[in-house]
Amino acid sequence: MNKTFIVFKKEFKDTVRDRRSILFMIAIPLLVFPVLISIASGMIISQEKKAREKTLQIGTIFQGNAQEFRLKLLQREDVAITEDITLEEGRDSVKNDRLDALIFFDKDFDRSVAGMSQGGIDLYMKMTEENEIEKARVLELLSGLEDNLREKRFRKMDMNASIIKTIDINERNLATVKEQIAVAIGGFLPYLFIIFCFMGSMYPAIDLAAGEKERGTLETLLTSPVGRFQMLLGKLGVVMLAGLISALVAMLGLYLGIRRMTDIPPELLDTVMSILEWDSLLVLLSLLVPLTIFFSSLLLSLSIFARSYKEAQSIVSPLMFVVIIPAFMGLLPGMKLTVGTALIPILNVSLATKAIIAESITPAQLTAVYLSLIVLAAIGVYACSRIYGRESAIFR
Amino acid sequence: MIVVSDLWKTFNLSRQQKREKGGRSHDGTVDALAGISFSCQPGRIFSLIGPNGAGKTTTLRIIATLLKPTKGAVTVGGFDTVKQPREVKKRLGFLTGTTRLYERLTAEELVKYYADLQGLDGSEYRRRKDELFTLLDMHGFADRRIAKLSSGMRQKVSIVRTIIHDPEVVVFDEPTVGLDVITAKNIIELIRRCKEDGKTVIFSTHIMGEVSLLSDDMALIHNGKLLFNGPYKDFQSRMKKESLEEEFIRLVQGVEP
Repeated sequence: MNKTFIVFKKEFKDTVRDRRSILFMIAIPLLVFPVLISIASGMIISQEKKAREKTLQIGTIFQGNAQEFRLKLLQREDVAITEDITLEEGRDSVKNDRLDALIFFDKDFDRSVAGMSQGGIDLYMKMTEENEIEKARVLELLSGLEDNLREKRFRKMDMNASIIKTIDINERNLATVKEQIAVAIGGFLPYLFIIFCFMGSMYPAIDLAAGEKERGTLETLLTSPVGRFQMLLGKLGVVMLAGLISALVAMLGLYLGIRRMTDIPPELLDTVMSILEWDSLLVLLSLLVPLTIFFSSLLLSLSIFARSYKEAQSIVSPLMFVVIIPAFMGLLPGMKLTVGTALIPILNVSLATKAIIAESITPAQLTAVYLSLIVLAAIGVYACSRIYGRESAIFR
Repeated sequence: MIVVSDLWKTFNLSRQQKREKGGRSHDGTVDALAGISFSCQPGRIFSLIGPNGAGKTTTLRIIATLLKPTKGAVTVGGFDTVKQPREVKKRLGFLTGTTRLYERLTAEELVKYYADLQGLDGSEYRRRKDELFTLLDMHGFADRRIAKLSSGMRQKVSIVRTIIHDPEVVVFDEPTVGLDVITAKNIIELIRRCKEDGKTVIFSTHIMGEVSLLSDDMALIHNGKLLFNGPYKDFQSRMKKESLEEEFIRLVQGVEP
């Protein structure tokens, strides 16, 4: 049996029996999306439902104005109005959350409107992000009042209210659904792939390099007739596989999470699912292979320098930021795959994934991305093999 | 057979080491070994003794091909450790007292791993494994993971791992350090058995009792140089102190660092 394969087989067995590696390779990637999606959507839905369904508590000081609007409010079941309060009391009630809003009409509101000028209304609310829905509901009520008054004013002048609209814009979106989705989740997908690839590789790499060194087993392994490069390739294979498994499991988790969402329109769900087709996934995976080889060689190189598992963890963890930044840059609007960006590692995978999903990638761009990643992977493995050949690193 | 000829090993020092070391450091380097020569014969036990930092582990690591000598040469079974490391490794078993095992493998999986790396075929592996597992009474825990084994059981696994491929040369680097009396006894028996089987055995130790118990030949190393090299009986006959410990201290303290 080939020595590299013997090392690979043993390291793989060792890794899948390591709870920490399994946690980061399978459990977290599998669960993170279903859990996040269900918690986030559950919270959003319940908050929205609460805000939409609750009866709005509105304080009103009409000062004898807008009686028609007052009657309308009194008839509505989703609004409860409190009258007979002073401005001071109303403001305090809003501050203390006893009222959602206070509407204060100017004393001469009706007269101003009748005289073709503007009637003044003061709206008191807590305008924070969590009151967005309540704010929208109150503004909708007031906008109804405005529409009504405008209609009346134009009718009085014997005119049609629609004449104030000079143009009529009809938006016709020619982007395919796939393109729209690619922008929405296409930027997110590579981010997911890259981060989980890195995270999945991290713990096996630390365990197979620094862990082996700390346990003292590296010394005995090196006295057996296996070349250092063969040993490195065996370890690299396992670390790489762990990264790829982690990314695929994260994809599976995302797929299951989306499937569980009940409020997605079926046509949108179909489009999302079509992105996860085998051919696009295979191309994405083929981009990840050289990237993971690079990650693995980088992680193994740094880990072998460390004297212990803990030291390796503290060396390797900050690298996460180095990975996240270019991966995140791919999410920025306007960032596109060009021959230039195709040569920047990590960012190129991020952008190429978006382009593959949107079906807009050109063969030249894809080739540039592959070439850049393969060169990077080769440099990584070469540097790693040099480090593994150094006595000062192995016996540090 | 092991032949060590005019062996030198120079290490670069880190900044902290430079501050700590004095005498042996020249231009940021230290000579861990400064021209030592000796040979170990088949069927004889060679003890390498010396204080901490004398160069024992460095010597054994060079013999085991883990380190490359700066100058000089080592041959194991006639093969050069630098030019033919794989041939050397095929003929070598290496056991240190500080080595731990892969905790997540079973005893049998671990032994099989090293047998595969040594290139043993299936039938040869089974024969050797059965023989050694029976000899050391290991069948009862062959399927148990190393993490679940007692230190005595682990040491037995280490022994089998070291000699599964029936090496002609066995290197022991402080093999009984930190072990209890019963477990250490297993190692002593292993060393004796290797000698009876005609293997070349070299071991380093701090325990003078083991030296007098096992040694056919001996080298005393200090500051990378040999203070004595020859048959143990010759050393005994030249001793100026009554016990081996006292003689060891006398020789080491009499040398300027």
